[in-house]
Amino acid sequence: MAVEHPVTAPSGDQTRIHNIGYRSYDGPRLGRAYARRSLYSQSLRGAYGLGRSVKSKVLPMLLFVVICVPAAIMVAVAVATKAKELPVDYTRYAIIMQAVISLYVASQAPQSVSRDLRFKTVPLYFSRPIETADYVRAKFAALASALFVLTAAPLLVLYVGALLAKLDFADQTEGFGQGLVSVALLSLLFAGIGLVIASATPRRGFGIAAVIAVLTISYGAVSTLQAIAEAQNSTGSIAWIGLFSPVTLVDGVQSAFLGATSAFPGGIGPTNGEGVVYVLVLLGLIAASYGLLIRRYRKVGL
Amino acid sequence: MTTLSIDHVSRWFGNVVAVNDVTMTIGPGVTGLLGPNGAGKSTLINMMGGFLAPSTGTVTLDGQPVWRNEDIYRHIGVVPEREAMYDFLTGREFVVANAELHGLGAKAAQKALATVEMEYAQDRKIATYSKGMRQRVKMASALVHDPSLLLLDEPFNGMDPRQRMQLMDLLRRMGDEGRTVLFSSHILEEVEQLAWHIEVVVAGRHAASGDFRKIRRLMTDRPHRYLVRSSDDRALAAALIADPSTSGIEVDLAEGALRVQAVDFGRFTTLLPKVARDHGIRLLTVSPSDESLESVFSYLVAA
Amino acid sequence: MYDPTVARLTYRALLGKRRALILGALPLLLIAISVVVRGLAGADDQTASDLLGGLALATMVPIIGVIAGTGAIGPEIDDGSVVYLLSKPLKRPTIIFTKLIVAIAVTMVFSALPTLIAGFILNGNGQQIAVAYTVAALVSSIAYAALFLLLGTVSRHAVVFGLVYALVWEALFGSLVPGARTLSVQQWSLAVAHKVAGGDLVTSDVGLTTATVLLVAVTVLATWYAGQKLRTLTLAGEE
Repeated sequence: MAVEHPVTAPSGDQTRIHNIGYRSYDGPRLGRAYARRSLYSQSLRGAYGLGRSVKSKVLPMLLFVVICVPAAIMVAVAVATKAKELPVDYTRYAIIMQAVISLYVASQAPQSVSRDLRFKTVPLYFSRPIETADYVRAKFAALASALFVLTAAPLLVLYVGALLAKLDFADQTEGFGQGLVSVALLSLLFAGIGLVIASATPRRGFGIAAVIAVLTISYGAVSTLQAIAEAQNSTGSIAWIGLFSPVTLVDGVQSAFLGATSAFPGGIGPTNGEGVVYVLVLLGLIAASYGLLIRRYRKVGL
Repeated sequence: MTTLSIDHVSRWFGNVVAVNDVTMTIGPGVTGLLGPNGAGKSTLINMMGGFLAPSTGTVTLDGQPVWRNEDIYRHIGVVPEREAMYDFLTGREFVVANAELHGLGAKAAQKALATVEMEYAQDRKIATYSKGMRQRVKMASALVHDPSLLLLDEPFNGMDPRQRMQLMDLLRRMGDEGRTVLFSSHILEEVEQLAWHIEVVVAGRHAASGDFRKIRRLMTDRPHRYLVRSSDDRALAAALIADPSTSGIEVDLAEGALRVQAVDFGRFTTLLPKVARDHGIRLLTVSPSDESLESVFSYLVAA
Repeated sequence: MYDPTVARLTYRALLGKRRALILGALPLLLIAISVVVRGLAGADDQTASDLLGGLALATMVPIIGVIAGTGAIGPEIDDGSVVYLLSKPLKRPTIIFTKLIVAIAVTMVFSALPTLIAGFILNGNGQQIAVAYTVAALVSSIAYAALFLLLGTVSRHAVVFGLVYALVWEALFGSLVPGARTLSVQQWSLAVAHKVAGGDLVTSDVGLTTATVLLVAVTVLATWYAGQKLRTLTLAGEE
């Protein structure tokens, strides 16, 4: 191999690189709030597959349709038979449709957070003006909003249909309002739990499986125990058992304070005192999920 | 068990042809499989290792097929590119497990670990290893059963210069012992320093094989370039350009030399000393300036 | 047919800290619930049978089967470290069979043992219920481990599919749709339990002979097919 002699520059030359093209950006920057809003809207749209591939639109849209169709049918039946009342209370609808809601959370919570974890792009977020809290708030709010859309849409269908069927306005509006509060709490709770579980693993499949497992098993265990308690006539404990699963927790709160009829066996909902505990546990879980998420994302690094 | 034959092998994935009618024979010694990223090197190595079936063609080791033939692994050692190993094991446990899967014992494992100089860290979990240490443990696991064919997929990835030198020494030793060592790389310096014989794969096709200097000679459609320094450059230039074997001469004032483009390599090499003697010019430096692997490679890739 | 090194590697991978925690959570939950129920209701045979059938056999055993079965091979294929098993002069069916043994053993320990304990807590093995359900758990462990090992070998989303099967098919359809019950591992194992318990508390929709044949057939076929699939497993580059 030849050894080349180094090139010697002619003397008296000054080496320079001229600044002819690179321009830094000096214009207005939109700041943290804008970034947070953008992350929120992108996550929210992503939860319904908007802005993503066609395949990812199928499941959320399908679930949305599935949850709205029975409401539409009920409304049609009520109008046709000139019924005095809707067959199902506003507050009961979400409880009946809990499988659809669980499936939605299970599929969209991992979709929202696990890609960032798997491909280690989270540090890219945090090397920009947004903070950990912004990221968590945006994702939490987005999933909760998506769930709220999912659960409130059928209630809207029921409300509009009820008005069309000329049912009592004040009555229906009150029921609708109660239903909305209830599903708002449900959305926050499910979003929190779903995100905490999904952010524990970078693998989407595990996240989906874990969320389904936790939601289903907790509900299965609680309802089995409640059935046994009822069969054994120790009805006092039915309300306490209901604290241990997200769906029954929401059910308890709404039957204590939102005028719903309890879905617990024997129709025995929590008393006012127990209801307060329910509310505290519900809010506590939401706050705990938020706290856990913040802790989780503080530990993320390169 | 030392000759790997790849015979008219193609592999496609749907519409994408990853390997296109490649035929080559890999014999004892160190062979470098060279190619840009996405050229099909990994696909080829996976086929050589029996982890992927060719869509057409056959891959055989001394006549025995490699696909769906578990016994052939007695003679093949594989160092995969992917980093994942059993992270929860210590280095020693990992190599011992590999030895046991070959029907060997802890002694063979110890020997292999000594060969790659990983004894000092053998009792730490693999999860705590650096990239270079992982590569060496992978090497140990491939060597533990003394295979006659070693396949290494991008083995120098992530190694620091000292580890790279050590690995090169090790591979050279393996080649000298008569084993067949095939490694893939897209880093030319590594291949240049280590391989006796290179196989160049570009866009799935087998572009060239052999010693890279000889490959350069075969490329007659590109003029050979030389750097010549002499006692009288201009006179030499005038004499050389008169002959049809040169196609261009550049006087490089900065270098103080001539850059000669020779289209007829053979004729030029006899011409140059004769011309110099006839004109009484003393030749100081004559060196080929594009016989590096890099230039050979860029010609092949650009073709 | 059985390789101790493969078994050791599989066992250590399966019972790594995180997976062991998850595997242990469900049995603990079952036992906790059993204690609560015993406290609430006293010893009652019907309750015990319902709980063991509904919670243990229908939910816990399939989920443990999914985790152990897919976990015995899925992560290795996913991150590519299975190459270290495939590049050895080892018959692929041997690898599958060894992993199956480990998966079965883990499933049995984490599902049958807690079922026995829960059964004794619930009604002290009155009418042989605890033992019957434990036998059912043992038997279904084998079939589940084989099925989910196969799933882990062929599919990258084995955990999701497995859980859908376990929670939707077994727990939901299996209890609701009569036709589906003949195709349910749970019902087959209940047939065996029925034989052990005698009496009427433990029932199954499937006869004993049919159940045994199906259990054996499913296990053997799944294991054989997984072995064949592993022979032609393609290792692509980094994805």
